[in-house]
Amino acid sequence: MTAATIDPYATTPAGGRFLFTLNPLAKFAAPLPPMLVLVFVRDLATPLAFLALAYIVLLAGARLTVRIVLLLAVALPVAALVIGLGMSLWVDASRVDTSVTVVELGGWRLYGGAVLIGMATGIRLAAIVALALVAGLTTNGADLVRASVQQLRVPYRVGYTALAAFRFVPRFGHELDVIRQAHRVRGSHGGRGPFAALARWWGYIVPLLAGAIRHAERVALAMDARAFGAYPDRTERHLVPWRPRDTAFVVAFWIVSAVLLVAFFPWTL
Amino acid sequence: MTSAVSGAAAGDPVEPRPPLVSVRGLGIRHDGATTWSPADASFDIAPGEVVLLLGPSGAGKSTLTLALDGLIPHAVPAALEGSIVVDGLDTRESLVAELSTRVAMVFQDPDAQLVTGTLLDEVAFGPENLRMPVDDVLARAEDSLRRVGLWERRGENPDRLSGGGRQRLAIACALAMGSPLLVLDEPTANLDPQGIEEVYAALGELVAAGDRAILLVEHNLDAAARLTDRVVVLDQAGRTVADGTADEVLRGRADELHEMGVWLPVATLAAMRLRSAGWALDPLPLDPDELRVALDAATSPAPATAVPNSSTSLAETGVSPESGPDATYWRSSGRATGDAAPLIRVRGLRTRRGRAEILHGIDLDVRAGEFVAIVGANGAGKTTLLQSIAGVVPVPRGQVTVDGVDVSRTDLRSLSRRIGFVFQNPEHQFIAPTVHDELAHGLRLQHLPEAEVEQRVHDVLRRFGLEDKADVHPFLLSGGQKRRLSVGTALVAGAPVLALDEPTFGQDRARADELLGLLQGLNRDGTTVLVVTHDMQLVTEYATRTIVIGDGRVLADAPTAEVFSDETLIRSAGLRLPPLRRAFAGLERHPELAGITRLADVPYGSGFDPAPASATPTEPTAAR
Repeated sequence: MTAATIDPYATTPAGGRFLFTLNPLAKFAAPLPPMLVLVFVRDLATPLAFLALAYIVLLAGARLTVRIVLLLAVALPVAALVIGLGMSLWVDASRVDTSVTVVELGGWRLYGGAVLIGMATGIRLAAIVALALVAGLTTNGADLVRASVQQLRVPYRVGYTALAAFRFVPRFGHELDVIRQAHRVRGSHGGRGPFAALARWWGYIVPLLAGAIRHAERVALAMDARAFGAYPDRTERHLVPWRPRDTAFVVAFWIVSAVLLVAFFPWTL
Repeated sequence: MTSAVSGAAAGDPVEPRPPLVSVRGLGIRHDGATTWSPADASFDIAPGEVVLLLGPSGAGKSTLTLALDGLIPHAVPAALEGSIVVDGLDTRESLVAELSTRVAMVFQDPDAQLVTGTLLDEVAFGPENLRMPVDDVLARAEDSLRRVGLWERRGENPDRLSGGGRQRLAIACALAMGSPLLVLDEPTANLDPQGIEEVYAALGELVAAGDRAILLVEHNLDAAARLTDRVVVLDQAGRTVADGTADEVLRGRADELHEMGVWLPVATLAAMRLRSAGWALDPLPLDPDELRVALDAATSPAPATAVPNSSTSLAETGVSPESGPDATYWRSSGRATGDAAPLIRVRGLRTRRGRAEILHGIDLDVRAGEFVAIVGANGAGKTTLLQSIAGVVPVPRGQVTVDGVDVSRTDLRSLSRRIGFVFQNPEHQFIAPTVHDELAHGLRLQHLPEAEVEQRVHDVLRRFGLEDKADVHPFLLSGGQKRRLSVGTALVAGAPVLALDEPTFGQDRARADELLGLLQGLNRDGTTVLVVTHDMQLVTEYATRTIVIGDGRVLADAPTAEVFSDETLIRSAGLRLPPLRRAFAGLERHPELAGITRLADVPYGSGFDPAPASATPTEPTAAR
């Protein structure tokens, strides 16, 4: 029950792992440049190098639960492989290196060049995801909001309202379930096929929106009644400071990224 | 607490402190509404005083509470007449934030008041918004959480608290604002009996400490009356018609309030009936304990003066529950006793949700014409049971039969001719753009000729008082009309059984009574009614049979009076005795009254009108 529901507020147990002690913004800022560059990279070695870098940082700095290990060891590699294979089938065969034939079925051939391009794409996506996980697996929503308000000067009215809106998600999920149940009982199934499904979902939207607007109004009144937004700033009980180690982490990550990028230039196959 | 009031009442020689809040000639009209409600409210609240605000449905009590801390007119668009002065500040000229340090709010829905991830953060949210230093924030948060008994759980996510726990948290959040006045608007309407008790225990301690004034809008007067110093009453039009101590108003003007349609404590209503039947009950009791003490002190009137109740005679229901089945029960289900087969038959029912088994082997029969209440604590499985019977959730084969068909093998279309299901929130089940189409939908699904569809839709519209609303969008109806329409849609296909899931949840007393009256009428005409509810007094008033569910099993299944005669059972199921039962069960001198659980069974004389005409709720103009 508790394992299945994601609690955006859950305080991540520190456990001495260094990623948890960093400012969330540092964890987002550090991998951002290589993530952007990876979009334009075409070879196999560069994304592999960054994939390795992300894994090293995660293994050293995150707390390894069963879920995280499964994600890193199984889900991500499998996804990369599936996407890679899919891409290699999709690549225009007339524009790839045709010197090696991997599979031949009747008149259709899968060339080594196509596989290479496909795998490069799969691994590139995996590397980008792995870099995003550095922050994603070690940051909770509340800290990210606090850091955005404290360092990025995001207006706190926006930040904390967004955080309050997290509470809406499970509530609306439950409400949608009830509405679907109610409509089913009323016999408004409406048949099969995409158009019937569209009509069905349209029928759910009115009651869901009516409930959502009413709920949002009530939450807004309750927040107003507790002086939310009264002053240009509010007391921050949890400071999420930017420490020298945050700077060190970001700079070190950028230097390593730069070295890797230079070493593998021009990032083409 | 009492000292503060008696001091004020005795006219302190010291200069009287200025009132905390002073409301003068207050009228409020929501944008888009045509009527002013409240129309002309005037009263004061002194520091430390507990004020109960009463009035019939539609008098504008909730609207008034929103105006006290300036949410009206600053956050909710509305026109405001007259004045509210809080601690020297005119609410019209002051900001909500400024007023929030003087007036703190607790709303009806505990879920709509949560904004953060832990109890501690939640309580700290208000003081943080006030830019208090961190140490002060923490000190206030700790103090507030301790006062409602939640300090030990400060690190938890509020989602993990029960309904009562979340509402106590909301009270702690209001306390943390440091304001001298707390305004609570129907704080227990969304709670089960255990939650209500929790919230009143917390409020009781608050009142005992005496450092905050409280304005309470509440329909559950049985718990509230004993905390109250003063009572302010608004009439149907929203004018102050009474303002005085609880004694003066609740005891002294009870008849007048009753005539006006103001809900009174059940114990007071029972005492008024008995008084009209010749019992000497003066002063009127306000809670079950007072009623019991007063009755034991009184001598029963000569039999001749007691006019037997028109519907049920005292002799019939006065039977001690232990000595045999309740007479009422057998009479009302009597028309079914001739039928050989029960209408609903449940055998070894095991319903699962995902991997968890919710119901662990339930057996029960319901015969045609019964009015059955299913009660139990939150999470006991009562809603799942009702949904299993109505085929709303999938059930294993052969475990539930309704009107001779196996629910698990029947498609919903033919099932809807046998059992109608009414969801907790009527809006959830509306699917058509007009009230007329809403009713016609179920009939058209059965491919009835259009003429017959029209005829039956028209019948239902007339029966449920919705004739002039046929072309209105269901979402634009008032709350009571939506509820009537949802019952109508469940019955239009001709189902002999009606199943309702917590139909009175979050509604005020008048609307709840209106609905239950409607159900009773349907039941008299032969519809079998199954209802899941938390409201024990409603259960005892209307249901002839009660099924107590605990942890997925049937804990008790018997005539209502019999079930509520076993207090150990009721408490162990996480429920509480209804107020009348508490008052009459302990009677020593008058065994003839000891078996009474229903207000309708309390004898009354000619001077008492059990259902004053003005008490029939009117529909509020704005469907807010």
